[in-house]
Amino acid sequence: MGDSTPSAPQRASGVARALVLLGRLALGALFLYAAYTKLRHPWALFAMAVNSYQVLPEWGVTLVARTLPWIELALGLLLVVGLGVRYVTLAATAVLLGFFILMLRAHFQGLGIDCGCFGFGEKLGTRTLVRDGLLVALSFALTVLAFRSEETV
Amino acid sequence: MLGSRSRKGLVLWMGLVVLVPAIGARPPAQTKVAAAEWTALKSLGSKSAPITIEVFSDFQCPACKRNYEETLRPVIENYVATGKVYLVHHDFPLPVHTHSREAARWVNAAAQVGQFEKVEAALYAKQETWAANGKIEPVVAAVLTPAEMKKVRQLVEKGQLDAIIDRDVALGQSRRVTSTPSLFVIKGGDTVPLPPGGVTYALLKQYLDYLLRQ
Repeated sequence: MGDSTPSAPQRASGVARALVLLGRLALGALFLYAAYTKLRHPWALFAMAVNSYQVLPEWGVTLVARTLPWIELALGLLLVVGLGVRYVTLAATAVLLGFFILMLRAHFQGLGIDCGCFGFGEKLGTRTLVRDGLLVALSFALTVLAFRSEETV
Repeated sequence: MLGSRSRKGLVLWMGLVVLVPAIGARPPAQTKVAAAEWTALKSLGSKSAPITIEVFSDFQCPACKRNYEETLRPVIENYVATGKVYLVHHDFPLPVHTHSREAARWVNAAAQVGQFEKVEAALYAKQETWAANGKIEPVVAAVLTPAEMKKVRQLVEKGQLDAIIDRDVALGQSRRVTSTPSLFVIKGGDTVPLPPGGVTYALLKQYLDYLLRQ
């Protein structure tokens, strides 16, 4: 009879796969929720939130406001379904890191604006910065795990 | 069966139950009417307009001046004048601005004589001047008739306008207003806060047109 007990590397790989699965489902749900909170309102409202960061010209504000919620929707769906996990988690990390840098910049400039992350009326402050920082960390860890695991979940 | 003492107690108790809320309810009802009247005096357009925009503003804040001149003026011309928007002003003088409360007093007094719009425009137009020297009265006097100015001056000197300003501030605080200008768009019972610092006329127009198409 053969030994059916998994070896230590096999066990580690199994844990990594489980973490990737849980992480991508959580992150996917967050991206879907973020997209929903923006798409349920007319794009002009989200455009005002984008404009309040004072980094883009008018055409850039319009472009981001019209496309970003759909990108979030696509990333959320791909994360939940589990298609191209390595590249999708990489893209999600890049997007979240971009948001986080802009939020930090606005915070330290004392702009006193809304986050615009999950709907409207949420002030940008320490709480939102900590939350989004944790999301960047989660997404980054997920990306590393996805690239390390032999068979991505 | 209730004894006579118990019956008396019951009658007294019922009397209290009926009377106490009635007595307690009277002052808030009067305050509410007065508040609504004051709000109407500081508003532009028709109350029956499909959309209401409420603005919490500080007359000394430079962003409020920009918001008034670049965003609200076109809204007044294109949406308020055509009956599509009812524009409501609320005072939200920030403590960091030394003359903003006094400016709000003059505006509220001018509203009482039906000249809110004129004085609001004048204060924003001359903001840099009076913010630097604190001389608000000449700015107000320049756009009012001597008779109106006399009445407005009396109202300011009476010192009863702070209660109205404080009511606006309390309303703003209840809506979590922390900075100015803060705008809220109300349609069909839904109140939507507009992202502070990001409202331009072009974007607001897009949003209002969308709401009007609904």
